[in-house]
Amino acid sequence: MEDKLDLKNVKQRINHIEEVLSSVAAGDLDVRVDSTVEDDLTGIEEAINILIEDLTYELKQSINMQNDLQEKLKKIQDQQKTIVQQQEDLMELSSPVSKVWDNILILPVIGTLDSQRTQIMMENLLQKIVDTGCTMAILDITGVPTVDTQVANHLLKTVTSARLLGADCIISGISPAIAQTIVHLGIDLSIIRTKATLQDAMIYAMKQNKKSDALITSNLDEIEEREE
Amino acid sequence: MQAFEYDSDWTELGVYPVKTENDIVRVRQMARQYAKNFRMGIVEQTRITTAVSELLRNMYQYANGGEVTINQGYVEEHNALIFTFEDQGPGIENLDLAMSDGYTSGGGMGYGLPGAKRLVDSFEIRTETNTGTLIRLMKWK
Ligand SMILES: Nc1ncnc2c1ncn2[C@@H]1O[C@H](COP(=O)(O)OP(=O)(O)OP(=O)(O)O)[C@@H](O)[C@H]1O
Ligand SMILES: [Mg+2]
Repeated sequence: MEDKLDLKNVKQRINHIEEVLSSVAAGDLDVRVDSTVEDDLTGIEEAINILIEDLTYELKQSINMQNDLQEKLKKIQDQQKTIVQQQEDLMELSSPVSKVWDNILILPVIGTLDSQRTQIMMENLLQKIVDTGCTMAILDITGVPTVDTQVANHLLKTVTSARLLGADCIISGISPAIAQTIVHLGIDLSIIRTKATLQDAMIYAMKQNKKSDALITSNLDEIEEREE
Repeated sequence: MQAFEYDSDWTELGVYPVKTENDIVRVRQMARQYAKNFRMGIVEQTRITTAVSELLRNMYQYANGGEVTINQGYVEEHNALIFTFEDQGPGIENLDLAMSDGYTSGGGMGYGLPGAKRLVDSFEIRTETNTGTLIRLMKWK
């Protein structure tokens, strides 16, 4: 048979329960209700202990989860950093100027021409013109999805600067849709020599090469004749 | 300055902040994607994307960024793709001048605004000095 509740004892025990609960409330999860006797109150005391256990467990879980989330967040942030870095690398890579033929440079432009990239592209091209002494440069924009006024402006500036350095630019790869759009925008690209495809541009550039070769040869012949 | 009204029947496809050049690229790609989903042909896709690009660049260049809302809905019996640009920039002092071909205050070509207007089916602009600029473009399907 259970002991009868002793009033004085009960008051003490309830005090104790209160203490434990306020400790828990203050964040101390190591406290438990000690019960020395077994009676009607014991059930409550045990229930409180179980609650504290549950609480401890859940708290641990949520701390673990939080740590997990933080770790994942850090990973994502790291990945983002890598992506930004790769984008920057790509930016340099995707404006490779190369000499493909005697006297002819090709610059295939891929992706979006934001101002930063256009700047790098333009500098690369002009530098290469100086380094190689090429007098023909083909800018192929097949890989550029949108040509707005800013891109057009950059292209015009690039062509004008190249001309100042003695190189003629040809722009190739303007799709019919982009061509129409440029016309509607109202931009006049007529001062730029444009060709539909890279191949057309190459053929044109090679013909120009021959012409200037022929011109030089005939000029030299003339000079020789005069000297004779 | 009166904000543009939104018809309650319109579907909001997205709201995008524009703060960096990367945002410009992203929103422009979204615009193209929505135009594609809208089954516009490649010419129409290119036109709306280019118009959007102009306004994004202006927003970035002159107003320190802003916000774009993309909607789809019926306007005067047209199924329309609707782009609303909102910035809290300096506003445009002389709108007639800004809308004319070749006018630029910033070393551009001066074809962004008038060009964008020619590329779309509906172009509305509201601007107030020191308050900002609101532009709404629509392209019918
Ligand atoms: N959102 C804006 N806030 C304040 N001023 C603007 C805004 N958009 C355009 N403007 C003003 O209107 C002018 C004309 O804009 P428009 O886009 O036609 O030409 P641009 O930006 O100067 O050159 P482009 O677009 O051809 O590169 C700008 O130079 C600028 O002064
Ligand atoms: Mg502009």
